[in-house]
Amino acid sequence: MTEAPVLELRGITKRFPGVLANDDIHFDLRRGEVHALLGENGAGKSTLMNILYGLYRPDAGQILLNGSPVEIDSPRAAIDHGIGMVHQHFMLIPVMTVAENIVLAAEPTVGGVFLDTAAARSRVEQLADRFSFAIDPDARVENISVGQQQRVEILKALYRRADILILDEPTAVLTPQESQELFAILQELRKEGMSIIFISHKLNEVLEIADRITVLRRGRRIDTLAASGATETELARLMVGREVLLEVEKAPASPGEVLLEAEGLRVLDDRGLEAVRGLSLAIRAGEILGVAGVDGNGQSELIDALSGLRKTVAGRVRLLGRDVTDASADERLERGLGHIPEDRQRRGLVLDFTIAENVVLHDYDKPPFARAGWTFPRQMTERARALIEEFDVRGGGPETLARSLSGGNQQKVILAREVAREPSVLLAAQPTRGLDVGAIEFIHRRLVRERDAGRAILLVSFELDEILSLADRIVVLYEGRIVGEYGPNVSEHELGIAMTGGRAA
Amino acid sequence: MSTGRTMLAHGRTALEPRRLAIIGIALAALAVWTALPPWMIRWEGVPVALGLLAAAAGLAAVTRGERRLGSWALALAGVATVAAIWAQTKDESSLGAVLNTGLLAATLRFATPLAFAALGGLFSERSGVVNIGLEGMMLMGAFFGIWATIWSGSWVVGVLCAMVFGGLLAAVHAVFSIHLRADQIVSGFAMNFLALGLTGYLFISIYGLQGTPPGVDRIPDVHLGFLHDLPALGGLLGPVFGQLNLLIWVVLALVVIVHVVIFRTAIGLRIRAVGEHPRAADTVGISVSRVRYGAVILSGMLAALGGAYLSVGFVGSFGQNMTAGRGFIALAALIFGKWKPIPTFGACLLFGFASGLAQRLQAEADISANLISTLPYILVLAALVGVVGRSVPPAAVGRPYVKQ
Ligand SMILES: Nc1ncnc2c1ncn2[C@@H]1O[C@H](COP(=O)(O)OP(=O)(O)OP(=O)(O)O)[C@@H](O)[C@H]1O
Ligand SMILES: [Mg+2]
Repeated sequence: MTEAPVLELRGITKRFPGVLANDDIHFDLRRGEVHALLGENGAGKSTLMNILYGLYRPDAGQILLNGSPVEIDSPRAAIDHGIGMVHQHFMLIPVMTVAENIVLAAEPTVGGVFLDTAAARSRVEQLADRFSFAIDPDARVENISVGQQQRVEILKALYRRADILILDEPTAVLTPQESQELFAILQELRKEGMSIIFISHKLNEVLEIADRITVLRRGRRIDTLAASGATETELARLMVGREVLLEVEKAPASPGEVLLEAEGLRVLDDRGLEAVRGLSLAIRAGEILGVAGVDGNGQSELIDALSGLRKTVAGRVRLLGRDVTDASADERLERGLGHIPEDRQRRGLVLDFTIAENVVLHDYDKPPFARAGWTFPRQMTERARALIEEFDVRGGGPETLARSLSGGNQQKVILAREVAREPSVLLAAQPTRGLDVGAIEFIHRRLVRERDAGRAILLVSFELDEILSLADRIVVLYEGRIVGEYGPNVSEHELGIAMTGGRAA
Repeated sequence: MSTGRTMLAHGRTALEPRRLAIIGIALAALAVWTALPPWMIRWEGVPVALGLLAAAAGLAAVTRGERRLGSWALALAGVATVAAIWAQTKDESSLGAVLNTGLLAATLRFATPLAFAALGGLFSERSGVVNIGLEGMMLMGAFFGIWATIWSGSWVVGVLCAMVFGGLLAAVHAVFSIHLRADQIVSGFAMNFLALGLTGYLFISIYGLQGTPPGVDRIPDVHLGFLHDLPALGGLLGPVFGQLNLLIWVVLALVVIVHVVIFRTAIGLRIRAVGEHPRAADTVGISVSRVRYGAVILSGMLAALGGAYLSVGFVGSFGQNMTAGRGFIALAALIFGKWKPIPTFGACLLFGFASGLAQRLQAEADISANLISTLPYILVLAALVGVVGRSVPPAAVGRPYVKQ
């Protein structure tokens, strides 16, 4: 070790009410390396990075840059020290343009007052060219794809001349293709001498991009190891603290009768454009139907239409043999539909309700939770306690607010609520997005168990791995239509081709 | 939202609701026109029939999903029928007494205090703080403006003092809504009551029952005599712009300045960022609370200028609660103008026109003056019903920002 690391964290400790989020963490970053930070949901990764970026103050510990201690008490200070961060939830202003978002708070001006829009645009273009990003500086952020939004976030850091870049779960929202493009960009940045901290739950990605890996578990640093020579199984064990099965074990399906059927569905998206264009599918009892496809090919609108949250323009939906095309979401729930929504924070949970209130969200007005207009909170608490136990929800009891749970545990609450109602048909949209390997393993096993109990499960996922390991039958959605149907043993390559619209001849 | 779209998609076969609404609006306009030269129809049946038709078209449009234009048609149908019946009772010369260039000047006079307050509110709301207290801040400006003018004998001191006290009240609102994270609506209301009580009390205890003394120094008018002598447009420009209060010219300039500040300067970009996504602004190093304090205090100062215009500029005296709800109309104009300076000023002009018209009608009409004076408020309601849901406020407006 001749050169001091560009960044060193010594003994960082951060306590939130009731949680020790970071416990005496040591971490260092060398020039030009990609250092991955791994850990379960709630392990304290984001907290540590927020401390480094000046958003949280540590209770103890020291930050050193190039060997000398620094005080980082605000994002301003972090920026001034050359630290840039791409947050887990993007920090972009949807109604503003790409260029405005990038130059915000460091605007080129004429006479120190007036915005120099031309200069802003050309500087953004220059930066984008240097790293061969394709991006339109005048596009509004709300109109560009998630992958492009992420580039805007990276450009924001580059524009501020960051030489340390923190990426907090950058690939959780990206398609596999976009992830590959991101990795190419990161390699480029590394060549220019940028040092990168990379957080992800996807072990294969971490092994692909990182030089070194630090694993956190429950707020403590477990180990730091070189990426070369490490294996996914080993990393999973370090993260979770036990052996994790990365493969799902399941018997072949034995499908029964058709439980959910859609015929000639046409659905409009929020902008009034046709997102689902004449789609038919049928799901049988005891099978998992996987819907593969790149994000934005009508997945959300399809799920909305099946669950009754969005009107269809044409076509029919039949649930257990009955036509429910015009039935409300509530009626469909009554008739045996379960729905794990894509956006767990906006649609899945009421974040300011307790776990108990959240698990009875559908049935709060029925016995045993209510009778003759009176509710029985005790019964709700009991139900919540049982589900917390059964679904291994960690981080609180029945009276804990959903908001304070980590992402993985929020997802388990939703799964618990939906599965406990014993629906005949379960719609699962992105059920493991942003979850750690342990939580994914749990949810996958549970879905297979529900299948074996005779439920029909529709699984929408952008992760081919997930589709391939769970689905008994796979359809590929492309531009609102089903462009292919495959058995469970189809190759990833073949699916990939269908997903981009080019059907293998 | 998607429901509306699907309905639209289904409704193509029948008469489109949008077209229905436009027909309604046209019928309403026709109802008024029949009573004016050259038609001068003098039978109530005509405007009543046209008004009913217009209302029916509007109602049909509303029930078919065209809420915005449909409600406009409905509102205009009512206003137009009343206006036409009244106009029928008048001969050509007295109609001329109402509809003349003086009405345009009156429009500007009535719009000015609204515009000061609305432009102030624009800063506050663009930064993410709802300012329902504009009314109170105007009232502070009206009272302290005249108080300082009387005390010093100079309107300049009065106007400055008005801005100081408007800013002070706004600072209180800022402390409550930014620092203490109180509910901004409740805090704003409290500001209004505070201003009403404070100015009412001081007014009585300083000036007693006889009110402010006569002969107060006034904000001067700007005389542009040459406008009357312009060859082609002199007949129009002269009476409208020839003699306007200084503050009217100030507000006209202010509209442009605010537009430039909000959309063309770094400060404006930051204000908008803070109002849309305070956390994002925070992560690039903008101090959310500093920007919000600045914007709220500025809003109070501008609203107070509107108040000072009323007392020191327009009437030369003060009366209890003399702003009479103008702060709220300004707020409506802001929503109507979609939080943009130029459309907001347009909305102020519209309300100003309604007030000017109501004032003239009161003098000329033989129907109830009280009824006519509700005209601007009816217009506010119609405008709000029409744009609600269409006008998208800054995303973080009304929500206190909690730094981690
Ligand atoms: N602002 C906060 N207030 C209270 N507790 C918090 C806060 N932020 C995080 N926590 C808690 O601190 C712990 C660590 O959270 P953190 O967000 O750092 O986890 P993470 O490793 O980033 O997880 P994930 O992979 O789900 O993003 C969790 O138990 C979380 O509930
Ligand atoms: Mg995190």
